[in-house]
Amino acid sequence: MLPEFGFGILVLTFLLSLFAAVAAALGHFHTSERWLESGRRAMLLTFPLLTLAAGVLVYLLVSGRFEVQYVYSVTSRTMPLYLKATALWGGQSGSILFWSWLMAAFATAVSLRKWDRDREFLPWVVVVTSLTLAFFLTLLVFFENPFTRWWQTPGGDFVAKMFAPAGATLVTPRDGEGLNPLLRHPGMIIHPPMLYLGFVAFVIPYAFAIAALVTGRTDDRWIRITRRWTLLAWLFLSLGLVLGMRWAYDVLGWGGYWGWDPVEIAALLPWLTGTPFLHSVMIEEKRGMLKQWNMFLIILTYSLVIFGTFLTRSGVLSSVHAFARSAIGPMFFAFIAVTSVVSVALLLHRWKDLKAEMQMNSLLSREAFFLLNNLLFMGVLIVCLWGVLFPLISEIVTGQKVTVGPPFYERAVGPLLGVLIALMGIAPLAAWGRSTLRTLGRAAWKPSIPALLTPVLLFALGMRNWIALVGFTLIAFVLFITLYEFWRGVRARMKSQGEGLFTALARLVSRNRRRYGGYLIHIAMVVMAIGILGIEVFQTATQQSLAVGESLDLAGYTVRYDSLAQFEHTDGRYVTRAVLSIFRDGEFLQEVYPRYDLYPDGQTMTIPGVRTTLADDLYVVLVNWENLSVFQAPFKVYHNPLINWLWIGSLIFILGYAVAAWPQKEQE
Amino acid sequence: MTDTISPKKGVPVWAQVLIWGGLLGLLALVAIGLVRAQRPMLIVGAQVPDFTLPLYEGYDYGGAEEIALSDLRGRVVVVNFWASWCKPCEGEAADLEAAWRLYQPGGEVVFLGVDYVDTEPDARSYLAKFDITYPNGPDMGTEISRIFNRNLGVPETYFIDRSGILRYIKIGPFVSPEEIQAVIEAILLEG
Repeated sequence: MLPEFGFGILVLTFLLSLFAAVAAALGHFHTSERWLESGRRAMLLTFPLLTLAAGVLVYLLVSGRFEVQYVYSVTSRTMPLYLKATALWGGQSGSILFWSWLMAAFATAVSLRKWDRDREFLPWVVVVTSLTLAFFLTLLVFFENPFTRWWQTPGGDFVAKMFAPAGATLVTPRDGEGLNPLLRHPGMIIHPPMLYLGFVAFVIPYAFAIAALVTGRTDDRWIRITRRWTLLAWLFLSLGLVLGMRWAYDVLGWGGYWGWDPVEIAALLPWLTGTPFLHSVMIEEKRGMLKQWNMFLIILTYSLVIFGTFLTRSGVLSSVHAFARSAIGPMFFAFIAVTSVVSVALLLHRWKDLKAEMQMNSLLSREAFFLLNNLLFMGVLIVCLWGVLFPLISEIVTGQKVTVGPPFYERAVGPLLGVLIALMGIAPLAAWGRSTLRTLGRAAWKPSIPALLTPVLLFALGMRNWIALVGFTLIAFVLFITLYEFWRGVRARMKSQGEGLFTALARLVSRNRRRYGGYLIHIAMVVMAIGILGIEVFQTATQQSLAVGESLDLAGYTVRYDSLAQFEHTDGRYVTRAVLSIFRDGEFLQEVYPRYDLYPDGQTMTIPGVRTTLADDLYVVLVNWENLSVFQAPFKVYHNPLINWLWIGSLIFILGYAVAAWPQKEQE
Repeated sequence: MTDTISPKKGVPVWAQVLIWGGLLGLLALVAIGLVRAQRPMLIVGAQVPDFTLPLYEGYDYGGAEEIALSDLRGRVVVVNFWASWCKPCEGEAADLEAAWRLYQPGGEVVFLGVDYVDTEPDARSYLAKFDITYPNGPDMGTEISRIFNRNLGVPETYFIDRSGILRYIKIGPFVSPEEIQAVIEAILLEG
C-alpha cells in the first residue's frame, strides 16, 4: 500500500502546485485577494505533503522494501541505517524528490513572511516557485517515479511499473544492488544536499526578480528582500563545491580535488554568476545603477541552476560522473527554453524602466571596481561555458568531437583569477562615487610593503616558479590590506571610544557586519588560494613497488612499508590494508593506512592514507592490490604542499558568512 | 557599461534581434546535443561496425601503419580509449601493458590503444612514460569513439570476440592486469 500512497501524494502535490500557480495569477489579474490567498495556501500545503512523500520513501528505504525498484537500486541489506536513509538522494528519482522537497520548504518559508509592504510581489513569487515545483513534480509523476515496483509478467519478464500489468505478480528481490561504494562516504552524504540547497535557494531571488519585472516595481526592493536568500544560496553552493573537492581528495585516490569535469563545471557555473550578483546588487542598493545587469545576472543564475541539473542528468555531456541517460532530458530542455525565453522577454519589456539613476563618474570608484569584478567573473563563465559547449559546437561544425582538458581551463582561467584576487585587495579601499589614485595609495601603501617583500623572501628561500611567486604576492597583498583594514577600524575605535582591542574589534564588526563579514570571506578566499597554488604548482609524486621493510623517499620524507592485512569487513567488502611508517630526517612521525576495498558487486575503492599538516600532506595510495603480496606491494605517494589551507579557508568562509548574514534589525 | 541618463528608451531593434538570435542559437545547440545524446549506444552482443585506426610511428601492427578491425577477425580485440590528459588512464596504463605482454606471444589477442582527443607530442610522451608497446593511434575525427557512442569519458575499454561481436564494456580504469585477464579468458573460453 505504501508505494501507492506515496505516488498518490506526488500526484496530489503536482495538481496543487499547478493550482497554486493558476490561482495566484488569477489573484493578480482579477485583483482578487481570495484567489491569491487560495494560491498561497495551496503553495503552503505542498511542503507537508512532500515531507510525507519523502518520509514514505525513506521508510521504504530503511525497511528494505526491495520490491520498490528505487529501493532495490540504491540500497542493500548490509548497508548501515544512515546510508539507507540518505540513499534518498543516492539515485535519480530520489534526488529529484529531495530537490522538490527542498523547493517546497523554501517556497513555504517565503510564503510565510510578512507581505504587508510587498503584497504586489506575492502572486508572482507564488507563480514562479510553484511552476518550478510543478516542473520537478512532472518529472516525478510521469518519468522518474521513485515508487515503481518490480513485477513479473505471465511471459516471465521482470518489469518496473507503478501499477500491476495485466496478470503480473509482484516480485520482491531478496537483496538490493546497493549504493555505489564511491558514494558511501560522509562527504558524499552532505555534498549533494548542500549543492541542492544552493541551487534551490537561488530560485527565490529569481522569483522576486520576475515578480519585480511583471509588476513593474523595479526599485531595489526585490534585492533587499532577497539579500539573505542569495547569501544563503551562495553559502550552500560554495560549501557544496568545497565538500565535493574534499570528497574527491579523500576517496578517489588520485591525489587531486578538482578535475574540470563537465559535471563539476556544471555546479560551478551558477556560482560564477551568483558571486558577481552578490557584489553588483550592492551597487544598485548604494548607487541605483546596474539594475538591468542585476536582473540579467539573476535570470542567468537561475537558468544555469536548471541547466546544470539538466547537464548532469541528460547524458548530453561526456563525463566521468556517469549518470544514466534518461528520458527527462527533453523535459528539462523544454523547461529551460520556456523560462529563458519568458525571462528575457520580460527583461526587454522593462528595459527602459531599469535605467540607472546615477552615472558612473570615476574609473577608480568602488562601483567601477565592482563592475570590473563582474566582467572578470563573466570571463571565467565564458571560458567554462565554452569548454562545456565546444565539443558540441565542434561536432556540429566539423563532425569531430573534441574535448578540452584541464590545461585549457587552467591556462584560460588562471590569469583571470589572478586579476580577481588583486581586485579583492584594491576594491574595498575605493570609495563609492569616486576615488583618486592618491586616496587609494594612502590606504594601500603600508600593507603593500610587506606584500611586496613576500616574493623577495620566497625567492630568497629558493622559490623559482614565477606563477607561484606572482600568486603568493597577490595573496599577500589581499591578506595584508584586508587585515590592515580591520586594524584601521579597530585603532580608530580604540582612540575615539577608548575601547580595548577586543571590544573595539567586536563592536567594529557588529556595527558593519556586511562589510567585515565580506572582508572575512575575502580572507577565506585567499587562504583557499594558498592551498590551490600549493597543490597545483608544487605537487610531486612517485610510484614504487616496496618489499616489507623497504622505503621510498619523497620531498624529504621517508615512507617505509611495514605490513599488509586482508580481511572481510562486516558489510561484505573485502579490505586490503597496508601499514606504512613515515619518517623525516630519521625521526618517526606517524603510521598511515592506505587501503583498497573490494565490494561484493565488484566495485572498488582506493582510500589513501594521509599524513596531514599545515605545511603539506603526504598522500599514500595502495595502487594495485591483486598484484601484491604480504611481502611486496606497489604504492603511489603524492606530496601535496599547503593543501590544508584550502579546507581551512572554507571554515573561515563559513565564519565570514555568519558575520555577514547574522540576523539584525532590518535596515530600511 | 556606463548608463547615460537620457530620455528613457527601449532596447533598439538590432539589439533585440541579437539577443533573441543568441538565445535561440544557444538553445538550438543544446537541443542538437540532446538529440545526439539519445542516439543508441553499441551494446554488448552487437556486431561492432568496422573501423580503421591509423597508428603512431613505432606503434605499428606487424609493420602496417594502420589497422582495420576486420583484419583482426579470428582474434579477441581489446579496444582501450585513453588520452594523455586523463588522470585515471595513468592508473591502468601499466596494467594494460602487463596484460598485453602476457597475451602477445600467443597471438590470439590484440590490444588497440585509441587516443581520444589529444595532441601527438603529449600522446607520445605518455606512451613512452608507461612503456606501452601495443598498437596505438589517434582517433581521427573521433570516428571510432562515435562508433561506440558511449564515451562518458576516458578510459573506456571494449572487448570484442573472434567474430567481431562486442562482449564486455569497462567504463573507468582497470585496477589490475588480472581484471583484464579475467575478461579475456572468459571470451577466449567461449570460443
